[in-house]
Amino acid sequence: MKKFKLFLVLFLALFININSIKADLLTSDTTTPIIENTVEETTKERTEENNYGVNKDIKINSNNLYNIKNTPYVDASKKVYDFANILSESEEQTIYSYSKEFMDATGMEMIFVTVDMPYTYDSKHATYASDFYDYNDFGLDLEHYDGILLLRNNYSYDRYYDMYTFGKAQLYFNQSRYDDVLDSIYSEISNDRYLDGFKEFKDKCLNYYNQGISSKYKNAYIDENGFIKYNYSVPYVLGLGIAAVSTLITMLILVNKNKMIKRATKAAEYMDKKSVNYSVKNDRFITSRTTSYTVSSSSGGGSRGGSSGRGFSSGGGRHG
Amino acid sequence: MSKVIDNKCLACNAPIKFNPELGKFKCEYCKSEFTAEQLKDMENKKISTDEEAVDDKYVTYNCPDCGANIITDEETAATFCIYCGNSSIIKNRLTGKFAPSKIIPFKKTKEDAIKAFKGLKKGRPLVPKSFISEKNIEKITGVYIPFWLFDIMVDGTIEAKGTKVKHWSSGNTRYTKTDYYEMTRTGSMEFDRIPVDGSTKFNDEIMNTIEPFDYKDLVDYNHAYLSGFLAEKYNVDEKESFEFAKNRALSSGKDTMMNDMIGYSSKTEKSNTLKTTEQKTEYVLLPVWMVNVKYNDKFYLFAMNGQTGEFVGDIPLDKKKAVIAGILSFVITFIIAIIVSYIIYKVGNN
Repeated sequence: MKKFKLFLVLFLALFININSIKADLLTSDTTTPIIENTVEETTKERTEENNYGVNKDIKINSNNLYNIKNTPYVDASKKVYDFANILSESEEQTIYSYSKEFMDATGMEMIFVTVDMPYTYDSKHATYASDFYDYNDFGLDLEHYDGILLLRNNYSYDRYYDMYTFGKAQLYFNQSRYDDVLDSIYSEISNDRYLDGFKEFKDKCLNYYNQGISSKYKNAYIDENGFIKYNYSVPYVLGLGIAAVSTLITMLILVNKNKMIKRATKAAEYMDKKSVNYSVKNDRFITSRTTSYTVSSSSGGGSRGGSSGRGFSSGGGRHG
Repeated sequence: MSKVIDNKCLACNAPIKFNPELGKFKCEYCKSEFTAEQLKDMENKKISTDEEAVDDKYVTYNCPDCGANIITDEETAATFCIYCGNSSIIKNRLTGKFAPSKIIPFKKTKEDAIKAFKGLKKGRPLVPKSFISEKNIEKITGVYIPFWLFDIMVDGTIEAKGTKVKHWSSGNTRYTKTDYYEMTRTGSMEFDRIPVDGSTKFNDEIMNTIEPFDYKDLVDYNHAYLSGFLAEKYNVDEKESFEFAKNRALSSGKDTMMNDMIGYSSKTEKSNTLKTTEQKTEYVLLPVWMVNVKYNDKFYLFAMNGQTGEFVGDIPLDKKKAVIAGILSFVITFIIAIIVSYIIYKVGNN
């Protein structure tokens, strides 16, 4: 009987301890998540049973199923996804804390993704980033799924980074703000100082959030599909300008119709075309000059649609 | 003593005029028709009359038919008697150095000119209503204007700089290649019968605008063609007129040579040594219908090419109509702009 009592006490103690550890682990998931370094450890499998991991109101169809299946299915609570294996565990933890600071202050996501992805055109990054955001459970605001994603492609032949905004976050960035944020972190990102870079990124984004919606989007809103839309306001100044220019042109035409007299300065109609005779016709090549410039294939600013059909905006990207 | 010619019907001796539609002379009394050649005989019936100076600019003649005084200026070569309406051709103003070598007889009638003048309203909403009135239309008169016709050769060299520009893309890189060239053309060309109005009485720009005349209709000059019309003798001589024709020929000569440089994205003239040579000059009379209209104390001259029917002139503006048109245009455009902006907004948001 004593043995049985001892066994029972030990069993209860073990049960309580296990539950306690479980509870600790569950708590730590929402506050300080365990961040893994490898793709295999951070992704889950997309199956028909789990709706391919897509929890937003996105319709899955034959057009986007391929993209969905090829988009890593991750734990959305982690916020830092180092598929390129360029961050240490402590760096990931720190970056997560920056991200959380931004999320707590703004109610919007802040995500950092690193990849090592070969590409030909810059636009491939926009596709990857929008798919990654849309096909995972990102977006703290369930109506607009607001958030910012910083993507770093560590592809050794042409390293690249860009920022992408979703939901209401799009309204806080016009092109000059995007340029300012991306330029301000160029030195850190291109020199692999990701902690400093992400901190600067978070600070800049937070600063623009505090400055409020960009004047370009003062009259705009985000529709149910995540696209920037504008409220209609009568464009009085534009209308008056168009009316003034149009009236000026109309009056010039009408007045000109009353003026038929023109002084002749040419005599082409009196030329005997057969009489034209050239004794010298010489075209000499002197020199040649070739100039070139590179354009970014993914232009920044303005809402675009991803394969999910939802809208997003991007900064324009930087190589380096 | 001057010779004044009055065309008479060879059948009934009534005054006879040139009929532009028929291209012949037709007697309105006995309906007989004659060619200019047939009427040449009339030159034998010249009537001598005294020319009497009124002042420095004007002289008087006696009408060969009714004897009334006709006052003309010194350049007028053919006119009418305001009492009997008969035409009078003052021959010594069209002989010697003032003798035209050719003439294009009127092809368009006064009715054609009236129709063209009335047609000015069409498509011109700012024409004053009172401007094209019957009163003004009555003033339309056919005039033979003295013209110099110059045959000019242009020759010399023109040098220019040019570029050929190509654009292409490779990946994200855009390329622009600019090739630079120097072009030279040496050659010559001929211009036939560039017309220059030989009378200061007529606005040169109006005379320019009714060009060109079809020189196929040029015939040897015959006084008979002047009957029924006014005519002028030149008061701008050949040398002075040539300057204007020369500049037109040089300008077109330069254009022709520049246009021969084909395939360039841009061309700029560096220098030219083009010069003109006057090859042949003719003094001719060309037919023009004219009307001088007074509107708001200002005269507006209109002219119609008496051969081709080209009608030109600056029409005054009805200021009231112009203000209304301006306001209407502004309001309508503003409303359209607002509607379009709303449609664009709706389409963009969908």
